[in-house]
Amino acid sequence: MISLKHVSKSFDGGTHPAVDDVSLDIREGETLVLLGSSGSGKTTLLKLTNRLLEPTSGTIEVDGEDIATKDPILLRRSIGYVFQGIGLFPNMTVEENVAIVPRLLGWASEKRRARARDLLRLVGLEPAAHADRFPDELSGGQQQRVGVARALAADPDYLLMDEPFGALDALTRDILQQELLALREQLKKTIVFVTHDIFEALTLGDRLAVLHAGRLEQIGTREEILRTPATDFVRELFAKPAQQLAAYGELL
Amino acid sequence: MTATVEWLSFVAERLPELWLRTGEHLMLTGVSTIAAILVGIPLGVAAARVRWLRSPLTGGVGILQTIPSLAMLAILLALLQRIGAVPAIIALTLYALLPIMRNTLAGLEAVSPEVVEAARGIGMSTRQRLWLVELPLSIPVIIAGIRTAAVLSVGVATLSAFIGAGGLGEFINRGLALSNTELILLGAVPAALLALTVDGSIAAFQWGIRRRRSRGTPFRGMVDRIARPLAVASPLVLLVAGGFACLSTSNPFSGSAWASSATDAQTIRIGSKNFTEQLILGELMGQLIETHTDLSVERRFNLGGTMISHGALVSGGIDLYAEYTGTALTAVLERSVIPDPARAYEVVDREYRQRFSAQWLQPFGFNNTYTITIRRFDATSRGLRTISDLIPVAASLRAGFSAEFSERPDGYPGIRSAYGLRFGEVRDLDPALMYQAIASGEVDVIAAFATDGRIEAFDLQPLEDDRRFFPPYQAAPVIRTETLQAHPELAQVLGLLAGVIDDATMQRLNYAVDEDKRSPAEVVQELLERRGLL
Repeated sequence: MISLKHVSKSFDGGTHPAVDDVSLDIREGETLVLLGSSGSGKTTLLKLTNRLLEPTSGTIEVDGEDIATKDPILLRRSIGYVFQGIGLFPNMTVEENVAIVPRLLGWASEKRRARARDLLRLVGLEPAAHADRFPDELSGGQQQRVGVARALAADPDYLLMDEPFGALDALTRDILQQELLALREQLKKTIVFVTHDIFEALTLGDRLAVLHAGRLEQIGTREEILRTPATDFVRELFAKPAQQLAAYGELL
Repeated sequence: MTATVEWLSFVAERLPELWLRTGEHLMLTGVSTIAAILVGIPLGVAAARVRWLRSPLTGGVGILQTIPSLAMLAILLALLQRIGAVPAIIALTLYALLPIMRNTLAGLEAVSPEVVEAARGIGMSTRQRLWLVELPLSIPVIIAGIRTAAVLSVGVATLSAFIGAGGLGEFINRGLALSNTELILLGAVPAALLALTVDGSIAAFQWGIRRRRSRGTPFRGMVDRIARPLAVASPLVLLVAGGFACLSTSNPFSGSAWASSATDAQTIRIGSKNFTEQLILGELMGQLIETHTDLSVERRFNLGGTMISHGALVSGGIDLYAEYTGTALTAVLERSVIPDPARAYEVVDREYRQRFSAQWLQPFGFNNTYTITIRRFDATSRGLRTISDLIPVAASLRAGFSAEFSERPDGYPGIRSAYGLRFGEVRDLDPALMYQAIASGEVDVIAAFATDGRIEAFDLQPLEDDRRFFPPYQAAPVIRTETLQAHPELAQVLGLLAGVIDDATMQRLNYAVDEDKRSPAEVVQELLERRGLL
């Protein structure tokens, strides 16, 4: 379990906090979606969780331990991270990209290789055809599959995903979302998924945390949030796409 | 046709030395480039990592680049107290630092922030990020910097000959000193080809280490197995070939800065400055020692000027060279002019014994003073006979002086105050080129050497030093006391020609080399034969 307790983060000395007094728990095995528009603090929150950023105040615990007391490098190796955009290393092959965390952890090369190939298969990339390629030889969707495989390489309990499908076309995004759902059933990881896309949030999230201007507006299951929105902001956030969908349905 | 044949035989005669000099050149360039890589890349990394270090580092290394090459060599000679390959390599390394450091910094800064964040996010330490991601991604830019540095080094290394480090600059210097275009080309053309070769081999190295993108066809497999390793090895092959060329003992040419620098008590190292008369005197002393003693001689000629030759003598880089009393008095000892030749000789000998553990042997006989010289036509048509006659017309005249003359107290600054002379324009001219420049009318006044054969040949008129400003410049061998104690017979051997080379003889010898294009060795041999000294 990951617990955030009164976490705040400010980049300008406190005038405009990027994250403002957020407390929430991420439960074992669930997928929590952090939903918000740009500037809502969702990516900042994710980066605080593996110490890419340090909070201005508050504490974050992973499995009951305050992460401020842990070595940030070891902490990051124990948490999978899928980056916004691509984030693959252009100087490494697909296989080397996937096997990078095991390499940092000192695994033997045979074991790394086998692991990388298993993971490529798991995310739907045939190793024989893809392992020796370089990232720029792959499509955007394939690159992001590699990104997911890399995050899973050291078999972490937690997976942080920062708008991983944001740059993909709608069709590819849909396919990858379905695959992620299947993968989650198979692997039982605890996932924190950041997005600004309401439908993606509703599709993937066991629970949703809605962020606005650094503050946590509401956290709950889809049903809870749709039926009993806690604030006007949350109500309007979901009302708008619903109207659009209705209009779209009439057209059909 | 005959010109081609002559040119070919000219080159063929010098092939062994060309091989040696090319080897030395490669070693100078290679060793300094490697040193600059070893220092420059870490500096670039430091500049990229530590923000407050960036300006001092790029600024400091940039300033090194602005120091003129000869000044850099002179400074290093003074600091290290030695001539030869070591100061040359240090100078070349300092010049090569800037492109390598700059490009390392630029390469690291060009790595996309997304990639850097990904490297941090998956748990790479700072060091792992550098080695696994940032440096590999910067390699093309860094190698481009190394190529710039290496090509630059090939060019600057031609100047290393000024401090006895050898290389192709040896031919160029000799050619400049002797106004011999063929010799200049013999150094310059191979140097240009070498620059292209070095650049090409580093480009090949880069191609060789680049990771292949798609899987192999049979042809590609062959390329990968054979061509790539060869390409990667090519810079090393060049360097090894260079090392072999200049260290191979079978090479008959003595005087490699690399091969025989170990001090051998049976070898006398003779230096010379970089103009014709000095080369003749060096050769003269060399041949006397070779024919009249069992000692062998190593010629470290063409050192870049008085301070470098003197520095080499004091530091033991050479055992002896020919110096002029007036030059020693004013430029080396920084004392005022002594008009009496015997008294001047006495003073320099005493001071050298005390301060430099060196001493003066008997003078050769001639007095190679500076003479303010104009075209004979101007002298007759305008009635100019003495330097004082120049005073009223000086403002309308263009003077061409060597850099050394422009600075020395017994040079332009001195005559300016002694005569109140102010020339309209003063140009820096290489001593070897000034006679041509005045004859063709590009300048009107030069500070010629009294013993230069070209004064007669170019129809020039030296003006009388009516205020007795220029001190006597008697030439004599200057030798390290240590060397003389080990080989006392040298005083007698070098004295064989003492007092017999008068101004006219020296002028004739200089003329034979400068205008008849004969080699100093040949001219000296003829003189010794005629005097029955061979």
